[in-house]
Amino acid sequence: MTRRVAITGLGVVAPNGIGVPGFVDALLAGRSGIRPVTLFDPASLPTRIAGEVKEAPPAPLPDRKIGFALAAAREAFQQACSSGSVPVGRGGLSLGVGLELFSMDDLVEQRRGRPLPSAAVERLSFMQTPSDLCAHFLSQAHGLTLPPLLHVSACAAGTDAVGAGFRRVRSGRADFMLVGGTDSMINPLGMAGFASLNATSTRNQEPERASRPFERGRDGFVLGEGAGMLVLEAWESALARGAKPLGELVGYGSSLDAHGISEPHPEGRGAAQAMARALADARLSATDISAINAHGTATPKNDPLETVAIHRVFGQHAKNTPISATKSMIGHLISAAGAVEAVAALGCMNAGFVHPTINLDEPDPSCDLDYVPHHARRHQQSYVLSSSYGFGGHNAAIVLRGQEAALAAE
Amino acid sequence: MIAVTGASSVALGPGDPRTLEPTAFLRAKKTRKFMGTQDDLAVIAAAGALEQAGLQAPQLGERAGLFAVVGYIPFNRDDIDPVLESSLDGERFSMTRFSSGGFQRAHPLLTFRCLPNMPAFHVSANFDLQGPYFVSYPGPGQVYSALEEAHILLQDGTIDCAVVLAVAHQRNFLVEHHFSRLSPPVPVTELWDAAACLILERPESAAARGAATRATLRSLEHRYAPHDALTSERATREILTGVAQPPGERGPALLLTAVAEAVRAHAATEVEHRLQTRDHVSAHSTWQVHG
Repeated sequence: MTRRVAITGLGVVAPNGIGVPGFVDALLAGRSGIRPVTLFDPASLPTRIAGEVKEAPPAPLPDRKIGFALAAAREAFQQACSSGSVPVGRGGLSLGVGLELFSMDDLVEQRRGRPLPSAAVERLSFMQTPSDLCAHFLSQAHGLTLPPLLHVSACAAGTDAVGAGFRRVRSGRADFMLVGGTDSMINPLGMAGFASLNATSTRNQEPERASRPFERGRDGFVLGEGAGMLVLEAWESALARGAKPLGELVGYGSSLDAHGISEPHPEGRGAAQAMARALADARLSATDISAINAHGTATPKNDPLETVAIHRVFGQHAKNTPISATKSMIGHLISAAGAVEAVAALGCMNAGFVHPTINLDEPDPSCDLDYVPHHARRHQQSYVLSSSYGFGGHNAAIVLRGQEAALAAE
Repeated sequence: MIAVTGASSVALGPGDPRTLEPTAFLRAKKTRKFMGTQDDLAVIAAAGALEQAGLQAPQLGERAGLFAVVGYIPFNRDDIDPVLESSLDGERFSMTRFSSGGFQRAHPLLTFRCLPNMPAFHVSANFDLQGPYFVSYPGPGQVYSALEEAHILLQDGTIDCAVVLAVAHQRNFLVEHHFSRLSPPVPVTELWDAAACLILERPESAAARGAATRATLRSLEHRYAPHDALTSERATREILTGVAQPPGERGPALLLTAVAEAVRAHAATEVEHRLQTRDHVSAHSTWQVHG
């Protein structure tokens, strides 16, 4: 069985906007959400800036990523149900989720052999909650009765979650899926871990200008936090219950680099494989793609190799394809990145624009494509490819079809 | 119906010395220092299963997918202790001390030794798996998700070979602590380090390349009940018939270990696995093991 897969709901919690309308407006305005860290005192860490979510939604546990996920899912379902009917049949969850992290104070106490609290909530706080708990909160909140799919493929997890959920609906194994990702690594261990790898920008004096994908002076990524959620359902079922699809998910591909622990394949092999597989899965050619939402981390290694991979897959069409890097405005949301960027891609496509890559003052000579510098651009789009590449060689890409094109194909 | 053409497991129980040595299977020996116990376990289990299946790097590549489930995150005490030592002001954690040097006391790449996607990295890099993947966590319920994902991609022809892997490093201070605080708790003496790997293929693909089918996955059911995760006090129960129950709490690795053990025994049997997890997954599978 192969079915069309409608996107009927979107939800987002991002550093530059909570809620899809505000988020898309911020992206099109080129508004950065990168600021000095306030969640804790970063003291003299090399990186002291991040994309924090202001006014974080409440959560049942002291773990920000749970609150982000619940709020984004609530928004996505409200939109999916705006016609007055609800998705029907067997529903499930496919979630990219960040690491369980540890309170440094708890680690010190544990190391000293001191007893830790045993009450239910506190019992879970030592690990700042095992990450899989988030899936159970979401499933309970929305009555999702299929076993949740949890993805921990690092920075590709959000895109993998969207793709795996898409495959379940397309194949008839699920009737609807809540898919997305949530993460927050803006904590001492998370920030320090990336800083010790020299992976994050140290442009602390000008936070909004620190995330510079594809730019000559880029010096690493900036951590962000948040969640992106989409409701996917069988196209015919969505129409039958009166829902108006916001777009369509048409392809997913993933690959393993099988290369180095800390660097991508030098010819962008894995990234190219993931994009090519997503296109093949969608039965499209590269020339069908109107725009790309890039992984675009602003690390010295990623951006040129991602450019190489795009050249490999898109050939001559690469030069004609606008490429946007959402991370220039919100930072790198790690396990949530791909899902938030899928929301960005679809939201902007439906608005008739590609959002800018901000801070792209002087392109890196090895990044020779059209990255939509500084300002949003009106651009009619039928299909957008959105990609994510994770540390450890996990590569994922999805292809989204915009609302107008999807409805026209009906 | 899916053919199992290779199966392997490895485990260390309470009191066992850490004697894992995966170096012989590494394409780049220098990566050894970046491997934690869960990575060692994963590479050894995968090597055994691939060898039994008669599969090597040139036959894998883009047509081989990896479906991995990893246990709770096992930060190494040896890595984290120096960081904490240098981050204390008296008996309290000091962000000032942590940020001015404490965090650099561990080699940054060594922290990779506990990350949940690293077993997938080491297995893919050393055995040249370039196909699609599913990397999940943390328990036996997710193994059924991995089996389903592998099944989907085998059946639709996306891949010819699925490397299904379950691994958990649990003799670890952080994981021990986590299990001790569950309700009901799991005693430290029950925790094993374990990994198991199965090679799955379509029966016709296996036959076409002359591979022996060691077992057949005959049925797979997987259910879930949404629940209040804060008040749930259900214990995980796994019941096996047709094969001896491997001892100890093995995280996600028990089912695949049981199938590997049955294959190793070279006796025809039907292995049946019933699962109820603390996260309200219930699952059932049957495996015909050919003698």
